[in-house]
Amino acid sequence: MSQRPSARIWLTLIYIFLIIFSVITLIPFFWMFSASLKENTDFFSSLFLPTGDGFLGIAWDRLTLKHFYNLFTEIGIGQAVLNSIFLASSTSVLATICSAMGGYALSKYQFGARTFITTMVLSALIIPGPLLLAPGYQLLYNLGLLNSYAGLILPHLAPAFGVFLFRQAMLNAVPGELLESARIDGAGEIRIFFTMVIPIVRPMIGAYLIITFLASWNNFITPQIVLQSPEKLPLAVAINNLKGVYAEDYGMLMAGTVISVAPMLILFLLMQKEFISGLTSGAVKG
Amino acid sequence: MHFFRTLFERIPPGLAVILFLAIFSGSVLSFKKMTELEDLEMWTFSRNHLPAYKPFIKKWNKEHPDQQFSLSLLNGRALERRLLSGFFSGTPVADAVETVMRTAHHSFAGPIDAIGFRDLTDRLKEEGLMDEINGPSFGPWTNRGRIFGIPHDVHPVLLAYRSDIVEDAGIDVSQIETWDDYFRIMKPLMKDNDGDGRPDRYLINVWDTIGGYLLLLMEQADGQLFDEEGNATIDSPINIKTMATMITWIAGPNRVGLEMKSNYASDYQLMLDGTIVGFFMPDWLIGKLRQNVPGLAGKLKVMPLPAWTPGGRRTAVTGGSVLGFPKASPNFEIAWKLGKQLYLSEELAVNLFETASIITPVKRFWDNPIFDQPEPFLSGQAVGRMLIEQAPDVPTRTSSPYLDLATKHLVNAAGNIKQYAIRNNKFTVEELLPETKRQMQIAQKHVETQMYRNVFLNKPQ
Repeated sequence: MSQRPSARIWLTLIYIFLIIFSVITLIPFFWMFSASLKENTDFFSSLFLPTGDGFLGIAWDRLTLKHFYNLFTEIGIGQAVLNSIFLASSTSVLATICSAMGGYALSKYQFGARTFITTMVLSALIIPGPLLLAPGYQLLYNLGLLNSYAGLILPHLAPAFGVFLFRQAMLNAVPGELLESARIDGAGEIRIFFTMVIPIVRPMIGAYLIITFLASWNNFITPQIVLQSPEKLPLAVAINNLKGVYAEDYGMLMAGTVISVAPMLILFLLMQKEFISGLTSGAVKG
Repeated sequence: MHFFRTLFERIPPGLAVILFLAIFSGSVLSFKKMTELEDLEMWTFSRNHLPAYKPFIKKWNKEHPDQQFSLSLLNGRALERRLLSGFFSGTPVADAVETVMRTAHHSFAGPIDAIGFRDLTDRLKEEGLMDEINGPSFGPWTNRGRIFGIPHDVHPVLLAYRSDIVEDAGIDVSQIETWDDYFRIMKPLMKDNDGDGRPDRYLINVWDTIGGYLLLLMEQADGQLFDEEGNATIDSPINIKTMATMITWIAGPNRVGLEMKSNYASDYQLMLDGTIVGFFMPDWLIGKLRQNVPGLAGKLKVMPLPAWTPGGRRTAVTGGSVLGFPKASPNFEIAWKLGKQLYLSEELAVNLFETASIITPVKRFWDNPIFDQPEPFLSGQAVGRMLIEQAPDVPTRTSSPYLDLATKHLVNAAGNIKQYAIRNNKFTVEELLPETKRQMQIAQKHVETQMYRNVFLNKPQ
């Protein structure tokens, strides 16, 4: 069925707007990527790629991959990438499971302290994170967890935000009758949780997973306070350490930023369906 | 196979990928041998210092097998948090800590005997370091008469100017002695050739929003925001006069100033296109520009800062770092030995100048021929020697924990006075003095109010 001319014009206009805004969104990324390929001499003299006599007026011969090469050979950024991947993936998987379990318990189990615990979880939401840095640091010191990966993962295992998010998601989405039927059929609690509850809140799992992964990937201040060995530092800190006091190697900084953005882009592409459906689930009643 | 099929059926592909990443990276990391931190630790905030420090520490560790040090690079804010947490709550800190003024000043907020850094005054005197190191460089690390660190640098400030533009215009900078001379002689450069109603060039990077440079000029004029006892002196007559003069530079028909720090791409662009003709050049900025703006090579020269009065001081100071020794460390003697060797090493002093153009505060190294070498970036000038000539004359700074706060109020005052000047069309120093005095008194009062809340520095009323 062919579209009416007015609908086609309307669609074309929408696409033009979308393309314009996409380009605007992509400009900083393109700038960052082109900056990572430039020599320091070209850094401030050309906005994007260095101009010259080459194809499209670009000096292709002045582009370089040396910043990436130096990052991996001189700075050893590979170790930081590995640290970041480990910290972000393990934190996000564990935090998602623990938050889902916590939310499930608070929404579907009847026990004495349920209201009290829910109130505590809600109250914890209003405490600003930076306020917990100093007591958290002292606690980790007393537990002997400073300068360890566990010192970064354990405090983020069951954040109040996640527990409350899953509680709300499960309150309406998981019918009590379904759980009762499963119990009557002889299913254990763990089995019910993993085989029935989790698939129902699958979009929320995807969204929360990517949120926690991103938060952990970008976590900047806590690793600096908890970790001491340079070889345990995650990517965000390692890149920040490239910033000098007296001089900055901007090309290397930009190359490091490209490396830090790439895994997140790939992950988002893999999970965009879950992420978007997770964000929009519950947005429309009906 | 069945397990994996079930897993992929039940969980989203993204989660599977993350699970795989967690297991894979965890396995790799668990097999990887991590270097254990040594018993003794040194922290630094500066990546630029690492290339010189690393071989030194390596050599030290080889020579002292039972006193092994590890060197850690920490972001400045993280270092401050960790250090102050350690001072206040007893969590572990390093045995030697290289840090910046801001962090050191924050540690000076309590009673003198509760300051987390070790008091080095007697030690420095006994070992003759007070004479060996440039006197004014101890200023930012001295609190209530006691010294809490070994200064790393001097950071004298010169005036950089676009020599190609200035010399093309036939201007002879040797005629310049004071700021008045500088603006009078350079004024012909401030033409409006492009006809946009504004000068094409400005003569100095002074602006009401850049507190660091307002303070730098005040200190050059012998002003201070605090006296040696830590009392606020923001509204002192010299500060009022200096501030009123600076406002005439940034507002009105005789405006010569432009907002330009030295950190951002836009600042470098202003330097490159000659919009700014002259700007403050601390020693560390030379190395930074050499690396970041190679296009300026051969187009810049430096000269001593113009003085406020004939025969007056021709330099100023900005920034600085220190090596301090936390009291909590049980290994002070070893850390002191290492720190002294590190900071009093001629090899390190030379390296620091070669890599970052920073001159050492250790006076006996000032005769080293490295400082007489021509600097191609600055049109072949022997900039090391020029900096060293000014080093003994840098203003002695104070170390109040309220310096940041006072500088913020200084910026507020400057903004208000500038607005007053524009609103009332008053652009001479004499016309601006009464309002400047009023604004500086307001700033003084705000800072004092905050200071009086500190029962450790003031007796409760």
